[in-house]
Amino acid sequence: MANTAVATGASTRPNYGSMSRDRTWALRWSYFFLVLFAIFFLMPPIYMLITSLKTSAEISAAKNPWFISNPTLQNYIDLLSQNQFLVFFRNSAIVSICVVIITMMISVIAAFALARMKFWGSATLATGVFLTYLIPETLLFIPLFKMFAWVNEVFGVQLMNHWWTMIILYPTLTVPFATWIMIGYFASIPKELDEAALIDGATWMQTLTKIFIPVALPGIIAATIFTFTVAWAQFLYPLAFTTSTSELVLPVGIITTLIKGDVFNWGQIMTGALLGAAPPLIIYAFLMDYYIAGLTAGATKG
Amino acid sequence: MADIAARNPAGHPTQQRSGLHKLMQRKSTIAFLMALPLILLITILVAYPAGYAVYLATLNKGMTRFVGFGNFEFLFGRDTFWLVVYQSCLFAITAVIFKAIIGFVVAHFVHNIPAKGQRKWRGMLLVPWVIPPAMSTLAWLWLFDPSYSALNWLLAIFGIEGIPWTGEAGWARFSVILVNVWIGSPFFMIMYLAALKSVPEQLYEAASIDGATWWQRIWYVTLPMMRNIIAITALFSLIVTFANFDIVRVLTAGGPLNSTHIFGTWAFRVGIEGGDIPLGAAVSLFMVPILAVAATFILRDITKRGSEV
Amino acid sequence: MVSMKVNRRRFVAGTAAASAALVAAPFVRSANAAGKLSVGFWDHWVPGANKATEALVKEWAEKNKVEVSMDFITSQGNKLLLTTAAESQAKSGHDVLAFSTWLPARYADQLVPMNDVMEPLIKENGKVNDTVEYLGKLNGKWLAVPATAGSQIKGPCSRIDLLKKHAGIDIQAMYPAGQAPKADAWNLDNFVKAAEACQKGGNPFGIGLGQTSDSVDSAGALFHAFGAQLVNAKGDIVVKNDQVRQVLDYYKKLMQFLPPDVPSWDDASNNKFLVSGQGTLIMNPPSAWAVAKRDAPQIAEQLWTHGFPVGPKGRYAPFLPFFWGVWNFSKNQSAAKSLITHLSQASSAEKMTNASQGYDIPSFEKLTTFKVWAEESPPKGTLYHYPNPHNHQTLSIAAAPAPHKIAEQIYTQAIQTQMVVRYAKGEAMDKTLDWAAKELEGFSRN
Repeated sequence: MANTAVATGASTRPNYGSMSRDRTWALRWSYFFLVLFAIFFLMPPIYMLITSLKTSAEISAAKNPWFISNPTLQNYIDLLSQNQFLVFFRNSAIVSICVVIITMMISVIAAFALARMKFWGSATLATGVFLTYLIPETLLFIPLFKMFAWVNEVFGVQLMNHWWTMIILYPTLTVPFATWIMIGYFASIPKELDEAALIDGATWMQTLTKIFIPVALPGIIAATIFTFTVAWAQFLYPLAFTTSTSELVLPVGIITTLIKGDVFNWGQIMTGALLGAAPPLIIYAFLMDYYIAGLTAGATKG
Repeated sequence: MADIAARNPAGHPTQQRSGLHKLMQRKSTIAFLMALPLILLITILVAYPAGYAVYLATLNKGMTRFVGFGNFEFLFGRDTFWLVVYQSCLFAITAVIFKAIIGFVVAHFVHNIPAKGQRKWRGMLLVPWVIPPAMSTLAWLWLFDPSYSALNWLLAIFGIEGIPWTGEAGWARFSVILVNVWIGSPFFMIMYLAALKSVPEQLYEAASIDGATWWQRIWYVTLPMMRNIIAITALFSLIVTFANFDIVRVLTAGGPLNSTHIFGTWAFRVGIEGGDIPLGAAVSLFMVPILAVAATFILRDITKRGSEV
Repeated sequence: MVSMKVNRRRFVAGTAAASAALVAAPFVRSANAAGKLSVGFWDHWVPGANKATEALVKEWAEKNKVEVSMDFITSQGNKLLLTTAAESQAKSGHDVLAFSTWLPARYADQLVPMNDVMEPLIKENGKVNDTVEYLGKLNGKWLAVPATAGSQIKGPCSRIDLLKKHAGIDIQAMYPAGQAPKADAWNLDNFVKAAEACQKGGNPFGIGLGQTSDSVDSAGALFHAFGAQLVNAKGDIVVKNDQVRQVLDYYKKLMQFLPPDVPSWDDASNNKFLVSGQGTLIMNPPSAWAVAKRDAPQIAEQLWTHGFPVGPKGRYAPFLPFFWGVWNFSKNQSAAKSLITHLSQASSAEKMTNASQGYDIPSFEKLTTFKVWAEESPPKGTLYHYPNPHNHQTLSIAAAPAPHKIAEQIYTQAIQTQMVVRYAKGEAMDKTLDWAAKELEGFSRN
C-alpha cells in the first residue's frame, strides 16, 4: 500500500514530484498484489470450472484436484438436456425480468418524489427505506406463510408453491436499495433544471420523464443490474415458498435437485452452479461500466 | 435536507398564502401518491410481517398463549444464545472490517495502475460479487471438503499439514468469515474506487507541497474525503452481514459445537428445525432494535454532513 | 421430474369436496378436488429410486381415475422440513406428505389419524418395530404410516480388506451372507481396538460427531448400548448418571482414533471419506456403497454392511423411518389414505426396495427378507445383514424414550454428539453434564 497515494497523483499528473523510480516500484507492487488478490477472488469460480469438466470417477479418485486428466462436457450435456433445468432457467429469467421492471417503476418514481418533491415524513421515509434491510428474511417468512393462508382463504388465490409469488416478494429486497441509489442520483441533478421545466409549465411527471430519467440513465442502468443480480441470486424466499420442480428458480433448483443428501455429485453440482452464475456474469460483462458508474455515483452523491 | 423543504410553507408567510399553500399541498399530495407504491410494498410485505413476527415472539412454543417477554427471558438465560450473540458480532464486525480494508487496499492498487488496464482488473475483481452467493458458497464448501479439500492439497505442496477448514471451532469461524469477505469485498472496492476518483487532485498536490508522507496523505486527504462513502458502505454491509444466512447455513450449518451459529442460522435451527417458531422469531428480532438505533445515528450524521457540503 | 401438474382452484374445490363426500363412488373423477391428489415424497438419494414410487402412484391413479401430481422434495438443506413447516402454517399444500422421523409427533394436532390404514397393514405384514411405534403413534392414534422409501438402518459399512489388514477382523465371517451373524466377539472393546489399529494403519474409522442425523444416530445407538438416558420416558432430566459417564468415557477413547474433523461432519462427509478410500468403517445406509459402485468400483467390491458392536446393555442400531401422513386440511383424505395403503402393500414395498438397490427398509416385521438384499453385489451378499434379518440388533432412535417434544430437541440440537465432543476435547465431566442438563431444561418448556 506504501506508495499508492503518491503514485496516484503521479500516474495521472507526472508534473509534480520527482519520483519516477518510486513510481515504477509502486506499479510493480501494485501489479504483484493485484495478481494475488485476483487469485484469491477468482479461485472458487475457476475451481468450479475445473470440477465441472471432470467425471465423477475422476473426482472420487482424489488425485490432483486442480488438474483434469479426462476433460468431459458430459456434465453440461446431462444438465442442459434435462427438461427441469430449462424450467428453472425459464422461471428465474421471467421472475428476474419482471422484478426488474416492477422495481424500477416503483423506485424511480418514489425516488423522484423523495428527492425533489418532499411531503410530510418524506425525510423519514428516505431513511426508513434503507432500514428495511434491518429486518432479516429469516424473520419474515413465517408471518408470510400466515398471510398467504389468509389470502388463500379470503380471495381463493394460492400463493404458496408458485414461482410468480417471487415476483411479488423480491421487490422488498430490491426496491429499497434501488430507491436509495436513485435518490442519490437525482439529488445530484441541478435544481435549476427542473425548476426551469416547471416554470415552463411541465407537470411533475413530465419533469421526471423528460428531464430526470434521461440525465439519470446511468444510475437507472446500475440499479437495473443490481436488481437483476439480487433477484437472480435470491435463495431463502424461493426455498421457503416453492416446492414443486416446475416452480423452482435456478439457485434453489440446483441445490435441491442436484445435491442428494449424502450422494454428492460434485461435477454436476459445480456445472449447475456455474450455469446458474452465468447470466448475471454475462450481463455484467457487457454493462460493467454503467454498473460501476451508476452504483457509485448514486452513493457518493447521496 | 428534506426538513428545509418540508418547512417551506411556514417559511413563506402572509402574501400569496392561500395560493402557495394550495400549490404546496398539491405538490405534496402528488409526491405522496408517487411514493405510495413504495410505502405499500414496504408496509404490506415488510412492516406488517415484521410486526406479526414481533407478536409471534411473544407467544409460547405451541403458539397458544401470550407470554410477553418470556421468550427473551428464556433466551437471556441460555449460554448458547450468548454464544450466538458473540459469534454474530464477531462474524459481522470482523467481516465488515476486513471487507473494508481489502476493498480499500485493492481499490488503491487498481487506482494506481494506468487507466487503460483498470477496466480489466476491475472486471476480474468484481466477479465474486456478481455470482449468486448460494452458488459460490457451494464452490467454497467443495474447496473446504475434508476428504477432497483442494486447498489442503495446495498447502500440502508447501508441506503444510491439512487445515480442518470447517472442522475445528476456530478455523470454522475463520472460514465463514473468509467466504463472507470474499463475496463482499469487491463491493467495497468498487465503491472506494469511485470515491478515490472523486478526490480532487489539487488536494494531493497541496499535501505533497506541504511535505506530507504517503500515510499522512491517506489519513488527512483520502480518508476524510471518503468518510461518507466509507460510512454508508460499511453500514449497508454491516446490516446485510448481520442478516446473513446462506453462507453459514451451507458451509457449517452452525457447527462444530454451535461455534459458527449466527442469528439467522440459529433462529432457523430453533424455529424450523426445532419447531419452536416463537423462540426463533425472538432470536431474529434481538438484533433489530440495536442495529436500527446505530443505523439511524450513522445515517443522520451522513445526511447532516451531506447538507453541509 | 414428474409433471402432472394440475391447476388448483381451491375455492371451487372447497365446496366440491363437501358434495363429493356424499357421492358413493370413492374418488369421483371430475374437475374438483375429489378427483385430484397432490403428493410430496422424499426425494431419494439413490439415483433412480424415485422411479418405483412414481410407477406405483401412476398405477394407482389410473385404476382409481384420480389425477395425481407428485413432487419429490429433497431433505437436503432441510427443504422438506421447511416445506412441512410452510404447509402447516399456511394450512394448505400436499394431500399426502412425507414426514421425517420426528415430524408426525410435532404436527400431531394437524394430522389425520391413520389407524384404519395401519391396523390392516399390521395384520398383513406383521408388527412394526418399537421405534416406529414410538415415533408414529401417540396416545393410541397412528399419526402417519411408516413409509418404505427413505426408511433406513444406519449400520456400519466396512472395508473387508482394510479391517482384515489393520485389525485382523474378518467381517464376512462374523456376518456371513445368508446366515445368522456369529458376532459375539463384535463388542465395544474390540470395536475401539479395531478403530485404533485402523487409525494406526492410516485408514481410520469415519464416525461423524457433527450435528446432522448420521452423527446423531450413531451416537444415539452407542448411548443406548450403554443404557445411557438423558431424559426418561416421564420427561425427567436424568443426564447425570453413570451410564452417561461411561458412554462419554468410551467415546473419548474412541475419538482419539477418529479423524480430527469429525465434529464438523455432515451426512455426506462419511460417504466421501469411505468412497475416497481413506476410511475403513462408516455408519451409513448403503448409499455410500451405491456411490462407490458408480464412482469407485474397486472400493465397492470391498464393502460389507453389517451390525453394530454389542455394548453392556445390548446391541442397538439406529433406525430412521420416514412416514406418509395426511394433513387435516387436505381436501381428499379418503383418496390419500387409499394411495398410502396401495404404497404400503408388500409388493409395493419390494418394488421400492429394489429400485433403491436395497436402501429402503419397510418397517413391518415380515418385510425384511426381500431377495434384493441377498443378491445385491458386488460383493455378493454385501447387504444381506443390512435390514437386520435375524433381529440381531435392537432398532432404536437417539433420545428415545423421552417424550417427543424433548426427544426431538435432543435430536435436532445434537445434544449427544455435542456432549461427546465437549468431553473428548477436555472439558470436565461435570461441566459437560451441567451444560447438558441446562440445555435439556430448556427443552422441557411448552
